[in-house]
Amino acid sequence: MSARRLDAGRVAYYTLNGAILTFLLLPLAIVAVFALNPTPYISFPPVGVTLRWFEKFFANEDFMRSLWLSLRVAAMVLVLSTVLGAMCALALARGRLPGAGILTAFFMSPLMLPAILTGLALFQVLLLSGVGRPVWGLVMGHTLVAVPYVLRTTLAVLANFDTRVEEAASSLGASPVRVFFEVTLPLIRPGVIAGGIFAFIVSFDQFPISLFLVLPKGETLPVVLFNYMKFDLDGAIAAASMVSIVMALSVVLLLERVIGLKAYVKL
Amino acid sequence: MAQSGRPPASIRIDGVTKTFDGQVKAVDDVTLDIEAGEFFSLLGPSGCGKTTTLRLIAGFETADAGRIVVGGQDITDLPVHKRDMGMVFQSYALFPHRTVAENVAFGLRMRGLPKAEIAERVAAALKQVALDGYEARRPSQLSGGQQQRVALARAIVIRPAVLLCDEPLGALDRKLRQSMQFELKQLQKELGVTLVFVTHDQEEALAMSDRIAVMNAGKVEQVGAPSEIYDRPRTRFVADFIGEINLFEGAWSGGRFVTGKDRTLPAVTNGARSGTGIIAVRPEKTRLVGEIDGALGGRIETANFLGGQVLYRVVTDEGRAVLAKEQNVGTSSRKVGDRVGVAWMPSDAVSLEA
Repeated sequence: MSARRLDAGRVAYYTLNGAILTFLLLPLAIVAVFALNPTPYISFPPVGVTLRWFEKFFANEDFMRSLWLSLRVAAMVLVLSTVLGAMCALALARGRLPGAGILTAFFMSPLMLPAILTGLALFQVLLLSGVGRPVWGLVMGHTLVAVPYVLRTTLAVLANFDTRVEEAASSLGASPVRVFFEVTLPLIRPGVIAGGIFAFIVSFDQFPISLFLVLPKGETLPVVLFNYMKFDLDGAIAAASMVSIVMALSVVLLLERVIGLKAYVKL
Repeated sequence: MAQSGRPPASIRIDGVTKTFDGQVKAVDDVTLDIEAGEFFSLLGPSGCGKTTTLRLIAGFETADAGRIVVGGQDITDLPVHKRDMGMVFQSYALFPHRTVAENVAFGLRMRGLPKAEIAERVAAALKQVALDGYEARRPSQLSGGQQQRVALARAIVIRPAVLLCDEPLGALDRKLRQSMQFELKQLQKELGVTLVFVTHDQEEALAMSDRIAVMNAGKVEQVGAPSEIYDRPRTRFVADFIGEINLFEGAWSGGRFVTGKDRTLPAVTNGARSGTGIIAVRPEKTRLVGEIDGALGGRIETANFLGGQVLYRVVTDEGRAVLAKEQNVGTSSRKVGDRVGVAWMPSDAVSLEA
């Protein structure tokens, strides 16, 4: 009631948010400091500012090859998981399938299993079937754990979807295919895109599954970084981390900019 | 496509039945003939099958049995998008990701019309619903009434032969609803379109319609002009659903309608009617008189002042409540507790089917 209680609540609110933000962002700040610190080992406090670790990172052939691979895999996973996830969500929400609840749980299950088990299982299946470890196997593994994100976000949008809007479109002469592309797809797009962003990030920094499914000289960036850290712990690791963060962030911002989420936020 | 609108189409619904989940008969063997250019209302309580009937005409539902013929063409098996009907929903169902102009242009774009013609017709349609100047807005930036006008423009811009409205004014507040009723009726006349209007609001249906079909439990109870439905209800359901009415159960014997302990009520008895029956009398058709022969004697229990009229609730000596409405002519001196007689003209008593 009184202004005082409101103030107390507000103080608590800001304190809690500040604590969460600090907890989430402080490690990133530390990584940034190390990436710019010139000492050849990780130390604190920093003694100066240098870009030599970034130079080392970008000059390293293994890093560059794996970064490129990670980006390509993540892009493929993004496309595959949005298409699959959106189609699954539509089928589950609209298809009047028997046992839709069980199916949903089944499609969400990769999130509940430890990724390392998924990785091991895929590894065994691929080897036993004599396929080996091709890049598409890696893409498949990542897609498996990325689809649930797209499924979840798309189902959320479909749950609030007024199907009369689609009926209005068809009464105005739109065939079922046109209804889908003119109305349904644009309206579920925010959910699909949000899921796609998750999918990209899940793939880009995927470690446990990748660990089993990559070949020597065909590792993704997180695997290369892990291997590198076993022997060296210099600023190049921090620089690589910074590059990863910036990459992931730019993809999110790019998607947001190009496809635009804001226009659809108020449905 | 010609500049002038298409001629309106008649609609024939012939023995249509629709069952949901193999259980409930939402629409049960309904037959209706809607004339071309008519403002036709489907009226009834929720769950009576009026909306399902409309959705069957639109093609959103498929009939289990029966045929639907529009303008002489059997459209029972025609998919929605080929039916060429305008549809207006209670929830407006505008495309939230498109501007007002894009919403209205949608149907024309689906028909592949040239851009110049689309622009011209969109502008004309928006003008018809008094929304010119709002082209670039998004639906979320409009009020409920404006959104419904956009929905209306979107439906009429394709010049449909039939316009279907599913409680289009249901989400609007009372005052706005009344002005929209007037606008919609006016627009329907201008366009000369056949309009099928679903509503649960009897006043709305009475005020707007050329004819009304009153529905109950999936069946059509009565079809007729508003005055017919009001003054000559055929069934107990229609009498009860539309407005206030006094119902008297009794029996026909010897050319008289007798109720309770041998009390004869004023009613026209054409011929040799016999057996049990119900008669119905509107409160405004009754008169309060002194305690005379042929009037129902009783005591005024409540008197509600309605402005132009006063509604009396009279409890008769048999203990039944009767509503009587009197014009407020400023000279009435009746008070609660007064003894009165309730009388009516025999021709104002309507004999109902069971």
